[in-house]
Amino acid sequence: MILLESLNLVKSFGGVAAIDRLSLTVEKGMILGIIGPNGSGKTTFFNLVTGIFTPDSGKVLFHGKDVTGFRPHRIAKLGIGRTFQVPAPFSKMTVLENVMVSTFIHARTMKMAKEQAKKILGLVRLEEKADQQVLNVTLEDRKRLELARALGTQPSLLLLDEVMAGLTPAEVKASIELIRSLRTKDLTIIVVEHIMDVILSLCDRLAVLDYGSKIAEDIPDRVVNNPEVIKAYLGEHYRARN
Amino acid sequence: MTFQTEGARINHTPVIRRFTLPGLLLLFFLSLLLLPLFLSPLWIRIATEVLMWAGLAQSWNVIGGYTGYLSFGHGAFFGVGAYATGILMVHLGWPFGIGLFFSGVLSAFLALLIGYPTLRLRGAYFAIATWAFGELLRQVATILDITGGAYGLQLPAFLNLPFFYYIMLGVTGLTYLTIYLLLERARFGYRLLAIREHEEAAEMVGVDTVSIKIQAFALSAFFPGIIGGINAYWVTYIHPDSVLRADITDFMVVMAFLGGIGSLWGPFLGAVVVQLVQRVLWLVWGEGTFYLVIIGAAICSVVLFIPNGLIGVLEGQIFKPKEAIKELKKKVKW
Repeated sequence: MILLESLNLVKSFGGVAAIDRLSLTVEKGMILGIIGPNGSGKTTFFNLVTGIFTPDSGKVLFHGKDVTGFRPHRIAKLGIGRTFQVPAPFSKMTVLENVMVSTFIHARTMKMAKEQAKKILGLVRLEEKADQQVLNVTLEDRKRLELARALGTQPSLLLLDEVMAGLTPAEVKASIELIRSLRTKDLTIIVVEHIMDVILSLCDRLAVLDYGSKIAEDIPDRVVNNPEVIKAYLGEHYRARN
Repeated sequence: MTFQTEGARINHTPVIRRFTLPGLLLLFFLSLLLLPLFLSPLWIRIATEVLMWAGLAQSWNVIGGYTGYLSFGHGAFFGVGAYATGILMVHLGWPFGIGLFFSGVLSAFLALLIGYPTLRLRGAYFAIATWAFGELLRQVATILDITGGAYGLQLPAFLNLPFFYYIMLGVTGLTYLTIYLLLERARFGYRLLAIREHEEAAEMVGVDTVSIKIQAFALSAFFPGIIGGINAYWVTYIHPDSVLRADITDFMVVMAFLGGIGSLWGPFLGAVVVQLVQRVLWLVWGEGTFYLVIIGAAICSVVLFIPNGLIGVLEGQIFKPKEAIKELKKKVKW
C-alpha cells in the first residue's frame, strides 16, 4: 500500500531548481533512505511534504489524498511528523514541556498530554531529563528530543532529517537501535542521512537525489554499486573500499 | 533581522510557582482590598494608577512577552476603550458597566482586524502595523465629530475615588487571573511559548500558529479596552493627546521589560516601580519630564544587564556586569 507519493514536484529558489520533477513513492511500513550531495534537495523535499514550502508545481499525496500546499499544522494532524536537521527545540521550556506541546494535538486534557509525553520520553530514553531545561541538555539529548517531539503527534509517517549528524560513533549506534525499535507496521520512516553505515543498516530501500532529481532508487546494496550514484555522491574511494 | 524578543534565559518557573500559590495570592489580594482604608486621597489615586498600569503592562506582555511579537501601538486599545466608553455614555446614554464591556470587545475585535493580515508574516510587519494603527487612531479621533475632535469629550462626572480604585483592582485582578489560567496553566500558554521559541517547529507539531497568535493579540487588546474605559470615566475629560498619546504604549513596554517579560509577575513589578518612581519624582520636583531620563537609563540597564528583568533578580539571578558585557560583545559586532 502506498502511503506517500510525490508527483513531479518542482520547487525553485530564484531561478535555481532545488527540486526538479521529483517523483517518489513510499510504501507503508518501510524505512526509506534518501541520500545525495549537499544541496541535492533532501531537506527541501521534506519541507515540501510537510507544507513549510509550497511546490511550484506537482503534487504530494498522503494516504491517496492530495495534501499539496496544506499548512504544516494540518499536515501534522494528518499524521506526518518530522525532525529538523539543526535541532529546533523550544529553548526556554523543559524537555517534558517540549514534548507536551506536540502531544496536545490529540490529548484532550493537560494530564493526558503530560502522560503521553512522559511515555514518549521513556521510549527515547530521556525520562530522566524530563524536567531539565532544554538549554542544559547535550546535543545527543537534543537530537533525541527532536525525535520525541516528532513522535508526540503520533505520526504514521516520520521524516528524520540527519538525526545522527554530529554524534559520536557510540551515540550513532544507540540511535540506530532506537530508530529500529520504533519501526512498526504502523510507522513508516524516511531517513535523510550522510552516514552510509546508518543508511545501510536501517533502510529497506534507498533513493538518491542529485540536483533535485532522483537518479536511482532500489534496495541499498544495489544502489551503492550503481556507477551513477558513485559518480554523483559516494565517490570512487567508496567503491575501492568495498 | 528578527523582532523576536529575547525572553528569560534562565527558567523562572520554580519561584513563580511559589509566588502563585493560591493562599499567598489571596492574602495579597485581601491586603489590596483593605489598602484604601489606610491611604490619603492622593495615595489612593496613585495606587489606582499603579493598578491601571499593572493591567496594561500585563496585557502588552501577552503578545510582546509570551508570544514574542512586539506591539508598538498597544496604547491605541486603551484609547479605543476610553473613547468607546465615553461615546456610549455621552451620546447613547449607556450605563458605565455595559459600556466598559463593549469597549473591551471592540478593542479585541480591532486587534483581530489588524492581526489577521499582519500576524501571518514574520519580521517587522506586525510592529510597524501596530505602530501605524496607533497613529491612525489619534488622527481619526482628532477629526471626527463624535469624538469631540481636538477638543475632546466630557463624560458625566463621578467623583468617587474608592469606586475607581476598586473597579481598577477588579479589572486588573481579572486580567492577571485570566492570564494565569490561560497562559501559565493551559495549553494555550505552552503554545504561545512554543511560537516564541521556534515558530516553524511549533507549526510542525500541530500548532495553528496564525490562529493562536491572533487569539493572543485579541486577548492582549481586550483588557486595555476595558481599562481605558475606566480611565475615561475616572478622569471625566478625554482628548486625543491624553488617551491616545504615544507614550502610553512606551510605558507598557518599559514596565514589562523592567519587571521581566514573559512572566506573570514581571509586568506587575515593573508597573509598581515605574509608576511609583514617576509619582515620587513628581511630588519632589513638580511637573516635569526629567523622570523620563531616569526611566530611560533604567530600561537601558535592564535590557543590557538583566534581560530577565527585576523578577529575574528577585529570583536569585545574580547581577554580573562583566559577564553581561562579555555576552553583549558576542551578540553585537563592534
